[in-house]
Amino acid sequence: MPHQRRLWIVLLLAWSLGPLLWQLYTSFCSDQALVAPLAATPERWTLAHYRAVLNSQPPFWRYLLNSLFVGTSSTLLTLVIALPAAYALTRLKPWIARPARLLLLAAALFPYVLLFLALLEVARSLHLGNNLLALSIPYAALSQPLAILLLTAAFRDLPLDLEDAARLEGMGLWQRLRWVLIPLIAPATTSTAILVFLFSWNEYPIALTWISDASLLTLPVAMARIAGSSIYSVPYGAYAAATVLGSIPLVLLVLVFQKSIVSGLTSGAVKG
Amino acid sequence: MTSALRRLQPWMVAALTMALLVAGSMVWVQARPTESVNILMPAPFADATQPLVKRFNQEHRGRIRLTVTRGPLETEAISDLAISSLLLGDTPFDALLMDITWVPKYVAADWLQPLDPWFGPEAMAALAEGVRAGNSINDVLYRWPLVASMGLLYWRTDLIDQPPRTPQELVTISRQLQADGRVPWGYVWEGRQYEGLSCVVLELVHGFGGFWFQPDQAAVGLNQPQAIAAVAWLRQLISEGISPEAVTNYAEPEALQSFKAGDAAFMRNWPYAWAELQQPGSAVRGRVGITTMVANSGDPSTATLGSWGLSMLRGSAHPEATATAMRFLSSTESQKALFLSHGYTPTAASLYRDPELIALNPILPQLEEALEHALPRPETPLYAQISDVLQRDLSASLTGQQSAAQGMERASANTEAILRSAGGTP
Amino acid sequence: MILLLGPAGLLLLVVFAAPLLHYAWLSNHADSVVTGLEPVLNHGANWIRLLQDQRFWQDATQTLRFALVSVGVELLLALAIALLLDQRWRGRGAVRAIALIPWALPTTVMALGWRWIFNTPYGPLDQLAHALGWPSLNLLANPAITWIATVVGDVWKTTPFAALILLAGLQTIPGDLYEALRLEGGSSWVCFRRITLPLLRPYLALALLFRLAQAFGVFDLIQVMTGGGPASSTESLALYAYLNAMRFLDFGYSATVVSGSFLLLLGLCLGGWLLSLGLSRPQRQQEV
Repeated sequence: MPHQRRLWIVLLLAWSLGPLLWQLYTSFCSDQALVAPLAATPERWTLAHYRAVLNSQPPFWRYLLNSLFVGTSSTLLTLVIALPAAYALTRLKPWIARPARLLLLAAALFPYVLLFLALLEVARSLHLGNNLLALSIPYAALSQPLAILLLTAAFRDLPLDLEDAARLEGMGLWQRLRWVLIPLIAPATTSTAILVFLFSWNEYPIALTWISDASLLTLPVAMARIAGSSIYSVPYGAYAAATVLGSIPLVLLVLVFQKSIVSGLTSGAVKG
Repeated sequence: MTSALRRLQPWMVAALTMALLVAGSMVWVQARPTESVNILMPAPFADATQPLVKRFNQEHRGRIRLTVTRGPLETEAISDLAISSLLLGDTPFDALLMDITWVPKYVAADWLQPLDPWFGPEAMAALAEGVRAGNSINDVLYRWPLVASMGLLYWRTDLIDQPPRTPQELVTISRQLQADGRVPWGYVWEGRQYEGLSCVVLELVHGFGGFWFQPDQAAVGLNQPQAIAAVAWLRQLISEGISPEAVTNYAEPEALQSFKAGDAAFMRNWPYAWAELQQPGSAVRGRVGITTMVANSGDPSTATLGSWGLSMLRGSAHPEATATAMRFLSSTESQKALFLSHGYTPTAASLYRDPELIALNPILPQLEEALEHALPRPETPLYAQISDVLQRDLSASLTGQQSAAQGMERASANTEAILRSAGGTP
Repeated sequence: MILLLGPAGLLLLVVFAAPLLHYAWLSNHADSVVTGLEPVLNHGANWIRLLQDQRFWQDATQTLRFALVSVGVELLLALAIALLLDQRWRGRGAVRAIALIPWALPTTVMALGWRWIFNTPYGPLDQLAHALGWPSLNLLANPAITWIATVVGDVWKTTPFAALILLAGLQTIPGDLYEALRLEGGSSWVCFRRITLPLLRPYLALALLFRLAQAFGVFDLIQVMTGGGPASSTESLALYAYLNAMRFLDFGYSATVVSGSFLLLLGLCLGGWLLSLGLSRPQRQQEV
């Protein structure tokens, strides 16, 4: 049994990491080595692809910064709006709260790609195109269903007498939220924040239609644009370097916050 | 400069005047900053025009700074890139190298600047006749052609003395050559479901006396007997074994590969194929002739016009400087340079008779002749969609899933549905 | 109290409800370059075009095929991974974190990676085929098989998500249930059939529902990996809607394609729900 298990673990790791490792390997190979991988090439290893990606116009880290900016602003906006809404859902009468939760679930399931056209028209008529801060509005909106569902579950777990005690001490609604309730659900808030951040960092169709200025592209759109500009030779070394650079922040994020991510996803599954 | 001043030292006044003049002129130059012009081109064109751009920037130093943005390789991806910025209302590009079929769409979206102020009738008269079409909408010029291309019939001079002129002749000659075992296949062409198939069929439909689509009357001619006959003829080529079955999956490279290996007597392709066929590895090197597409007697021999040209975008902040750059890039000298370095077929009429060029490429006169038969694809903003539905039904007809008549009836109905839904019919 | 819901409700209305109403309205209008990008009522012409549009129906079947196959494979893999991660062994946390990585990466990043892995002739798979003396696989240029390559890319990326949901489900199953059955002499397969699967059913349903809806809207992966080609054999409905708007500048028809896709999805969900009702009822009686 343990032997068999070890085999499965190795398979799982190979499946999860294999494609990434191949990209890593490719990114350090010279063009000659890529075209003839089995032949002996004198200059097999190179940093040229990384140099090319980092020195391109605009440089690659620019896209990472853009994504970081959009991710952060969307996450903050989402939480500011979702926290009070989630609290309200736990305190409202069931005949409102129940259908509201069902609607939220439907919205969370909805393949949001289909919204791109209407959102593009919003961007065009309100001149929100090519504006990273404006991009966080649709992102915050699309994150609401999941965020509210996760936070509602957390608020519901808090004992009611805790809030009653705070009320007896004369704390208003805002004070109770700010000083008692929100601090108590900090773990749930963290995992929600990370999920929202990941979504905003990775979102593609809306960023694709809202941003055209090369220096404002977020990482996913920049990657796609690099893919679209394939030139005759074998540009895959540079592609690979870009995929490796684009993966590093997220790999780190997952490794550091894996507990929060898992608890966020699973509590969403249990209670959603 | 400093040494000049030192020599002038005794005449301090003169020196001062000089210094003031120099400073003044520098301020004057600063006051009129360099105008920057940015043109988006597909990667191969951006690479090919590098030396020209360098020369232009030397000649216009301090006044215009031209940069060419190297866009994607794929034709459609270039347009996607431009459209995504145009839709949001601010584009970093002053001009765009455009495929001929995009012009009506861009004009209908009101994204192009009329070029008439910069390219007048004399400039137009210097163009080869065939490339003048497709650049104007309602007599307003929106695009200036840079590189020409047209459909050609390649034939083997070692197998026959005279190329076929009618579809029937092409079939008869092919059958004979195949029966004699001199060549495995008669005719190879682009039969895959993609834009190239639309080009093949446009030529034949006109060669059979029909038409595809007339934008001014919104008339669809695909279900007319002539168009059906043209498609039935293509199907016959496959069913009779004159064209290989696999031709329904051929694009330009596959057709070229087959013809280059000596496996076919005839091939439909664009001018670029000529240079490829003269490469050392080619089995038919020096044994290839070109002519225009076959047509029924009395009907026009037709060559689908494909060309790339420069258009100015409405948002351009420097229209004058952009026009200067466009004129430079499309000048006779530039076209000659592009032909010599990359074999790009010119659009200037005079180059087709340039002895230096003819010595390098003896087919230039034939290309000019083919240009006279050139026909643009239907000039409608909805071209991409109507071409797509045509390709689908063509492909199904060529692979035998439906008859030519059924296929063209459906293509016709689908085209009309598109026109109605997009507002193309009154 | 209801005021606290205000901002969220407003955002959701603007981003979810308003677009759907807008689509319903726009799908009855011509709004293309021909009309100068202004909506003009066209009395259902878009819908007639949609019904006879071979490309739409081809994309619909392709999207469905993609969604069903990739979600099916994904759930099987996810179940295996969840069972593995549910056991106790050293280094489990680290492996779980690593298994999550594919899910966290932007789809476009690895779509580009897959393009290289499936590349002909330089990608590793083609090289392997070459070394074995096989003909070139031509994975991204053959209309008959390219869609399978896109399924692989999707399964790789989304399996961890499904696995986590199932893992959460596994962890709610009390261990003494298994012990009781094992005391009665049940093998591990019997345990799996009689305890794990039935108790996991709601989680399976949730993962299935969520993943099916998302796979139905597949866009990023296809756009970057194949662009919908070859010969639009991998084009999805979302990509077709996108092309109608951004490439053909036909917003009216794009809205119709979106609405049509939405109706199809709704129909599928309804059908799936009815089917699951029909399937689960007799089984429940069996258990009792």
